[in-house]
Amino acid sequence: MKAGVLDEIKGKYGDRATDAPYECSLYSRDLAPVPALLVDPLFNTMPDLVVRPANMEEVAEILRTAWTENIPVTPRAGASTVYFDTVPVKGGVVMDLNLLRGVVRLDEERMTVTVQAGTTWSELDDYLNRRGLTVKSYPSSAPGASIGGWFCMMGYGIGSLKYGSLLSQVRSAEVVLATGEVKVLTKETDPPLSWFAASEGTLGIVTSLELEVRKLTPMKHFLMRIANIPEMTRVLSELKDAPVTPYNLHFADPACMRAMHDLGLIPDDIQDGCILEIDYEGSDRELAQAEDVIRAMAADNITINMLPSEIAAMEWEERFKALRLKRGGPSVLGGEVWLPTDELADYLADINKMSLSYGINLISYGHVVTPKHATVMTMFYADETKTIKYIFNLSLVKKIQDIGYRHQGYPYGVGLWNTPYINRIYSRKQLNELRERKKALDPKSILNPGKVYRSPLLMNPFTFGIGMDVLAGILRAAGRGGR
Amino acid sequence: MSQEHKSWFTTLENEALICGRCGCCRSSCPVYRVIGWESASPRGKISMAKDIYAKGKNVGLSDEFVQRVSQCTLCGACSNICSTGIDTRALWLELRQRIAQSGKSPKAYEGIRNNLLTNKNISTFSNEDRLEWAQDLDEPEVVEPRTGAEVGYFVGCVSSFFPQAAQIPLAIVEIFNEAGVDFTTLGGEEWCCGFPLISSGYPDDAKEFIKHNVDRIKELGVSTLVTSCASCYHVWKHESQAELAGYKLEILHTTEYLARLVEEKRIDLDELDEVVTYHDPCDLGRNSGVYDAPRKIITSMPGVRFVELAHNRSESLCCGGGGNLQSVDPQLAASITQLRVEEIKESGATIVVSSCQQCEQMLSTALRSAGLPVQVMDISQLILEAMG
Repeated sequence: MKAGVLDEIKGKYGDRATDAPYECSLYSRDLAPVPALLVDPLFNTMPDLVVRPANMEEVAEILRTAWTENIPVTPRAGASTVYFDTVPVKGGVVMDLNLLRGVVRLDEERMTVTVQAGTTWSELDDYLNRRGLTVKSYPSSAPGASIGGWFCMMGYGIGSLKYGSLLSQVRSAEVVLATGEVKVLTKETDPPLSWFAASEGTLGIVTSLELEVRKLTPMKHFLMRIANIPEMTRVLSELKDAPVTPYNLHFADPACMRAMHDLGLIPDDIQDGCILEIDYEGSDRELAQAEDVIRAMAADNITINMLPSEIAAMEWEERFKALRLKRGGPSVLGGEVWLPTDELADYLADINKMSLSYGINLISYGHVVTPKHATVMTMFYADETKTIKYIFNLSLVKKIQDIGYRHQGYPYGVGLWNTPYINRIYSRKQLNELRERKKALDPKSILNPGKVYRSPLLMNPFTFGIGMDVLAGILRAAGRGGR
Repeated sequence: MSQEHKSWFTTLENEALICGRCGCCRSSCPVYRVIGWESASPRGKISMAKDIYAKGKNVGLSDEFVQRVSQCTLCGACSNICSTGIDTRALWLELRQRIAQSGKSPKAYEGIRNNLLTNKNISTFSNEDRLEWAQDLDEPEVVEPRTGAEVGYFVGCVSSFFPQAAQIPLAIVEIFNEAGVDFTTLGGEEWCCGFPLISSGYPDDAKEFIKHNVDRIKELGVSTLVTSCASCYHVWKHESQAELAGYKLEILHTTEYLARLVEEKRIDLDELDEVVTYHDPCDLGRNSGVYDAPRKIITSMPGVRFVELAHNRSESLCCGGGGNLQSVDPQLAASITQLRVEEIKESGATIVVSSCQQCEQMLSTALRSAGLPVQVMDISQLILEAMG
């Protein structure tokens, strides 16, 4: 790394830039506790410099320097993913975008808000709520996830079933390209806005976005306990296709219910079966119609037990706290799968078989995010302090993804750790097109290098597959995965 | 009246492992909002604590880590939002204790401890002068300790020794007299509640203070303890229960007791033509669950227009003065206060009421510096004002 250039940036940004090892080490982590034994020999996750630009001009200036000097730049805001999206793998500069914060403009005629990319979803929604407005959708990590970060991932979460992907709600975005050039992108520009959705910070740094907003409307919450998975998925299917579309449709399997019960998160009388949480928003008429749909469905189905509305409302209030399940850990491992809803019952049945084969308690929950797809998290408890066993357990994450793949699913997000599945996530044609985009916009590959487009040599799908399968085979023979 | 959260705290090691590093805590943390570096975020601090205590990495207690752990107001906002349900406030206290045990506490904490062990209060004055403030009363002897009273008024160090805050006990005594409350104080036998020792990492020392105060209360035989300090209230309510075992004592903050007096119509409130807002002290609100009582008092006052601050109740922003932060980093504390001042400014209030002497001092100083025409009052002072 060109020390002189980094010193120059450091000098210029003063107390907003650091190369102190203590500070930098914290920028070499995200949610995933991956053992150093696996990371250190393969990647240089320690940034040479962390810098906190305060505006688009500063982002552009830093990128111009990095482009000229061939310095890798890893953008980071909430750093709330588990795939090392925001962790450098080739050192260089980490650009902490959290100072790009706040609302730039609210246009109530257009019903849009222009917001800086480092603002969290909760901050934006608080701002809008005070004005009788709200966002159309947001991630289940809204208090920590940034607007720009979610856009650069796939952008499906709470509200997506009713209002579509985040991309469909973004009117325009201000983006700084790898060269430092600033562009305002829309659907019609070249490059189009869509290139940057799910690009995971590899094509440019989004500095602000103009998003569609909606009026803040009343909500109604329903919670169903349903006897078994087949019935739960059948009801789920009916609900998502009903005349009134739920704002949020969340499910949890029996293992998840038991885990929540064991942690004291739910009362004794609802520990068995599955849970379906259905949340509606809209006009009074729409809510009344929704209530009719739910009541009629419950009346006709003896496997459905409607839970009290106070519990349903509480579940909604706790919607950002799914990670409480981690208290049963202390660590968890798992995979998030983008899955056709038609396959959900069979996927969960196969997950159940895997639980039995490996002697491991697999817990699944998820959200229906489009009329045809759900994001499903399947996880199990582990203990990262027991390194060797933990590494063996990592192989079970592949087994979860394999089950997802058998049911036409694939990992939700790529980053670094899901690059071995890149051929499952994208077709060859799609992948070639993505690589062409990268080549066109960042031919020197300075932006978030090592992510998305291809797996590192030692993690190529073939080697990775064999390695993981061998480890999983040993675990299966021993019949004891997990902690 | 109080809505408290259950604590799931197990051990420092386990909780540090449970932390999911999701970062939900970042934007609610006033320290992170001012400093902006990952190491200042609750997530960053816990991540380091995990390396040090849970994963056995040979990283030791660095000066940076000790500094970051001390840069915390113990406001509990991170605990409120934590997606894994970690009682982070308990975790910070445990960390400070571990640091103290390793002899690496900030010098300011050691100073606080030494002073308290010597003087039994947070000032440099003799503890025998606890009732000096009462000299401004027409009949100072009414506050002298006596057995047989129904209510014990625990004044707290700040109100007892700092002239600016002395208006609070004076107001309370006037209100109590007007309402015919049968009360007494601990006089020179009142010791610091122990909160500064707990928050500096010396909970064992605090136990001695707690025991002393509980013994004096038992000697006086009061059935209700009322305190006007949010931190004292927190200690009495949460830390003194073991010592109080077997002794029936109702513990109330003045907001709760005064709300009762208002409800029972034992005090008359005249019209007050003001726009009033309320700042929730962290130790009374988020960390003890008392939100409604002060609001009931304010909204019961004829003529008052009550406005909420943008962040209120469990979401309230810290004043910057908690967790001994002022003693280790006064500039950071003042910068945090500025965040709250902005919200007060936006509210359009002419009076900001609180119920913690530290919050009131921080807000007064910042509002004065900003030249804003907003008066800071304790809830007792507002009542006195309305009593005419």
